[in-house]
Amino acid sequence: MSEGLKIAHARSGPVCVVTLTGRIDNSNAKQVSTEVDGLIGAGEKNILLDLAGVIYLTSAAFRALLVATDQAERNAARLALCSITGHVRDLFEMGGLMDSFTILGSRDEALARLA
Amino acid sequence: MGALRGMAWSVDRRPLRSISWEVPSLVAETTDVTIRNDLADIAVLRDAVDRVGANARIPSAALYDLQVVLDEIVSNVIKYAWPAGGAHEVRVRLTVDRGAVEVEVVDDGQPYDPREAPAPVRAAPGRRPRPGGLGIHIARQLVDVFDYERKEPHNRVRLTKRFI
Repeated sequence: MSEGLKIAHARSGPVCVVTLTGRIDNSNAKQVSTEVDGLIGAGEKNILLDLAGVIYLTSAAFRALLVATDQAERNAARLALCSITGHVRDLFEMGGLMDSFTILGSRDEALARLA
Repeated sequence: MGALRGMAWSVDRRPLRSISWEVPSLVAETTDVTIRNDLADIAVLRDAVDRVGANARIPSAALYDLQVVLDEIVSNVIKYAWPAGGAHEVRVRLTVDRGAVEVEVVDDGQPYDPREAPAPVRAAPGRRPRPGGLGIHIARQLVDVFDYERKEPHNRVRLTKRFI
């Protein structure tokens, strides 16, 4: 089986950075909302999803990200995305979704904003 | 790439072998993949499409577009074709021929033309969108041909993605 999606998280000051690597599609998108749910449940208030390693994503990923963003809001947490570039950015634009999320440039830029 | 191809084809006095590298395969190659109506099986399809891409040397940008489109089309079938549930199959046929991949997705579920999926509803200012129809909206932008026919008792979606 090819590599699907890998999810890892690490702390950077007040921010919990979740690194997504691979492809996000209908077979695995729920892992993203499950991961964010878990972090919010553990009391995280600043969550940054880094998509630098994502090679493509489908509408299932957008649904998961919208659900995760709502979930964060309901729990007074912030959820932002960073490293939305290249093909992944094209897909966000095709979906008309660039304004639907807090998108914060590179990881460094995002960490500076969220710190 | 486009300009290079144009050059190769427009120089008509070159010996044929000098342009043969532009034609990855002169014989159409077909791959059939049958999966269950289970979203987890999308991973099986994804692997098969990767293999086709590697064998036919499809550039990664075109291959990823194709992966996105197949995920959208096939997941739609899995979710909506059989309202009564039960075990069913989705058949996918990929044919690589002269710089294009032709794809057929066949199911025996209820009649459904994905081209008629409603356009995504624009979110009110300050509201996030609910992405109904989003997948098909994206898929249509990523392929060169998107056709559908109902031939009882099957739905048949035909797509073409050109890669050179």
